[in-house]
Amino acid sequence: MSLIHIDNLAVYAGDIELVAPISLTLKQGQRLTILGQTGSGKSLLAQAIMGNLPKSLHTTGQVTLFGENVSPKQRQRFWGRRISMLPQEPWNSLDPLMGAQPQLQETYQLVAGQSAAKAQQSADYTLALQGLSDSGHKRVDQLSGGMAQRVAIACAMAGGAPVLLADEPTKGLDVSRRDQVVEQLMTQSEQGTLITITHDVAVARQIGGHMMVIKGGKLVEEGDATAILAEPQHDFTRALIAADPVNWPIPEPNIIKGELLLQASDLTIGHGDVALSKHLNFDLHQGEVVGVVGDSGCGKSTLGDTLLGVQPALGGRVQRHQTAQPHQWQKLYQDPTAAVSRAVSLATLLEDTVKLHNIDRTRIKPLMQQLGLTDDLLKRNSEGVSGGELQRFCMLRALLLDPVFLFADEPTSRLDPITAQEVSQLLVDVAKQNGCAVMLVSHDPDMISKRCDRVINLNV
Amino acid sequence: MMSSFTATQKTGAGLLLLLIAYAFFGPMLQAGDAATQDLNHILTPPNAEYWFGTDHFGRNMWIRLADALQLSLMMAGLCVLTSAIIGVSAGVLAATGSRWLDRGLDAIVTMILALPGLVLVLIFAAIVPGSFWMLYVAISLIQWIEYFRVSRAITQRLTRSPEVQSSKLMGFGQWYIFRRHYWPAIAPQLFTIAAFGAASAILMMASLGFVYVGIQPPLAELGLMIVEHFPYYSDAPWLLAQPLVLLALVVLACHLMGRGRTQ
Repeated sequence: MSLIHIDNLAVYAGDIELVAPISLTLKQGQRLTILGQTGSGKSLLAQAIMGNLPKSLHTTGQVTLFGENVSPKQRQRFWGRRISMLPQEPWNSLDPLMGAQPQLQETYQLVAGQSAAKAQQSADYTLALQGLSDSGHKRVDQLSGGMAQRVAIACAMAGGAPVLLADEPTKGLDVSRRDQVVEQLMTQSEQGTLITITHDVAVARQIGGHMMVIKGGKLVEEGDATAILAEPQHDFTRALIAADPVNWPIPEPNIIKGELLLQASDLTIGHGDVALSKHLNFDLHQGEVVGVVGDSGCGKSTLGDTLLGVQPALGGRVQRHQTAQPHQWQKLYQDPTAAVSRAVSLATLLEDTVKLHNIDRTRIKPLMQQLGLTDDLLKRNSEGVSGGELQRFCMLRALLLDPVFLFADEPTSRLDPITAQEVSQLLVDVAKQNGCAVMLVSHDPDMISKRCDRVINLNV
Repeated sequence: MMSSFTATQKTGAGLLLLLIAYAFFGPMLQAGDAATQDLNHILTPPNAEYWFGTDHFGRNMWIRLADALQLSLMMAGLCVLTSAIIGVSAGVLAATGSRWLDRGLDAIVTMILALPGLVLVLIFAAIVPGSFWMLYVAISLIQWIEYFRVSRAITQRLTRSPEVQSSKLMGFGQWYIFRRHYWPAIAPQLFTIAAFGAASAILMMASLGFVYVGIQPPLAELGLMIVEHFPYYSDAPWLLAQPLVLLALVVLACHLMGRGRTQ
């Protein structure tokens, strides 16, 4: 018997087809990977399978779970115990007022039906397994992005559902954690089945199994993962694989060093009394791209806040050697949806910035073109565009301010490989052209090695 | 705006509009005024001449009720507006300003909260009995606290958020951050507080009228009317029922308006 069988499932918004009809069947122990760019309708497909699409969208086709033909509404009773979904935004899917451990314990107790004492044991054990023993009492806003992701994964898996849908499960995780998560997903799926949605070719390679490549809501290629990755037939698949940082061309070494911009001496960073990294010594020069690496939660984002002067240093000092305006020290955020106001359209936000700093309007158009942004897009507000588009909008705003220093905190973790390659290249180009120093935080060692002139490792 | 209302809210809004129309245009439909006594026609049941009948002094109840309702609605509107403006401003300032300002405001709020609201209003009302403005000051003094606490909590959360940090890094000032970040987050919450606040302002004013420290006779006021009509409950039960039903309807309308979408 197949655990999940989907027959011509399609998603529509009114008359517009967002996801073209797709059929698939998965038996116990089988895995499916859906590969595609952001905005290609992958997440819609996952939601259509779960039955939690927004009300404005409707579906056609049949979904059969455990041999039962079930309507979207009927599927709700399977949630958690029989079919479970790892959501894309860990921050939004966890309770903001509760600690990580109590949330996980509650899931074990209420979804998996364990006794209170057993649930506590299970929760503690799972957290220890995820390397989060010390963070069990922390609320979501106190966890780093990677840590929150791991807690969300633990919660989704707690119910022991045999059918697991993972929507971008490794987004924002560093490589060692990514491998861990993938391994965990694979173990879980041995007793059931796993559907993974990703834009990360490396993840698709690790998970293997059956693979579907989706572009613009349409299936372009389907088959065995290893076969497709070794010999992609469709142009789009080929482009996607080439955009994996592993396959990026190796850059020319950068020998030109600009003037000294910033000097950190014996710097200690952290929150309150807790130091995250101690005794950091480094210089930053204009036109330089410096990578920042380290495990999740080691203070990569905190380093940026300290250098930008948003957060005080716990020890040592940061010296700025240039007389640049305060607004020329800019930051790109890991989660652009949290960094842009939802209240007004993007065009209005752009206009605000232009007016405040008297920016030459003729510069906007070419830069927008370079970033692949259209006027049409700016008419919407931040909720109406994809994460990748919003990140490019944030770059547009930051670049218009002529930054001397740009702290880019995982700027491409929400972009699909093709856009990520373009955007990160653009970031590097801008740095060289304008003599702006860029600090690039990434969990992807390939991205760092292909884009950065040197690397600061916070782990040592 | 109207389209984002739920059916419940639309019912409430409709009821409220109807009541407002009656309060402000009702008196035009009948001759006379709220104070003229006609001792030959006391306790007349509703008829073609007096739509709602007359009270124990022969005063026209249609006009008196409209007057009383007008007073209640004006009080509710003024209190909501004043307390919202003061509460939101103080809340945002407390969350963004210095630690001492926050502590100071917090201390004041705790002190006011420590006293039962109605007692505080009673004390104020007893200082100048019968003054509409004193009641207004007293009720607003209690009601701004809710706005303060909600705005402060929302703003506090936002001050540390990436979106505010990003705007600060770009050089935008506090006013801009209020307009683009704090206000859009606070505004949706205000409507609910305002609807419930209006209802409680109306009830407070009526309670004070009921214990004779609110609006003084011969002015028409709902609570006062209830206590004035009380001796005639067996002779003219419809007379006592009128201000009670009207009070219930206004409060119901406000509460229906406050029942937003659960998110």
